[in-house]
Amino acid sequence: MARLSGLQRDVLSLYRKCLREIRKKPTESRPNFKAHARAEFQKHLSVNKKDFSAVEYLLRKGHRQLEMYASPGIRNIR
Amino acid sequence: MFRSAIVRSLRASAPRVIKTPAPFQIRSSPIAVPQFTPSIFQGARLYSAPAGLSKDEAEGRIVNLLKNFDKVSDSSKINGTSHFSNDLGLDSLDTVEVVMAIEEEFSIEIPDKEADQIHSVEKAVEYILAQPDAH
Repeated sequence: MARLSGLQRDVLSLYRKCLREIRKKPTESRPNFKAHARAEFQKHLSVNKKDFSAVEYLLRKGHRQLEMYASPGIRNIR
Repeated sequence: MFRSAIVRSLRASAPRVIKTPAPFQIRSSPIAVPQFTPSIFQGARLYSAPAGLSKDEAEGRIVNLLKNFDKVSDSSKINGTSHFSNDLGLDSLDTVEVVMAIEEEFSIEIPDKEADQIHSVEKAVEYILAQPDAH
């Protein structure tokens, strides 16, 4: 794989964080969370990697979403 | 009045206690008697030796894990040297998922910096073998 830029590594790190959070969710709803996280990332697959402001905005948005879904009250997602 | 009630209840419960059979009857049998044999290892605690992971085992487990990963495009290409994106057609998000699955399989935590370097089965095996607490 080509060497990743810092921003790209941040995106992967966010995805990793999401997966780590998913491990804390109940086993039966984990696939749903995983599919959701994956879909959220895939939505923006077309964003140019040089469009820094867009990627940074999406990263911030992603972190906020992760924080929200990480709350233990949320047990399932569709 | 209370005292008589207590006495009566004690009387009522006493035979019940006696009636309950002992769950285990201890029979002394000659086999069960531990024989004390002094040995040269006496005093040394014999824990099992730390079972280090062999390269083949680590590789086999990672290959198995990949075989169960549904996004691998061509499972016949999975072997000890396959590259996640070049050989198996995984994208960077899939690679992250694979590395996380490897973490779970060997019950370790791979920090981001190292995880970003793992792009092939070979690299993963190398990393796992370098971890003393991977099992």
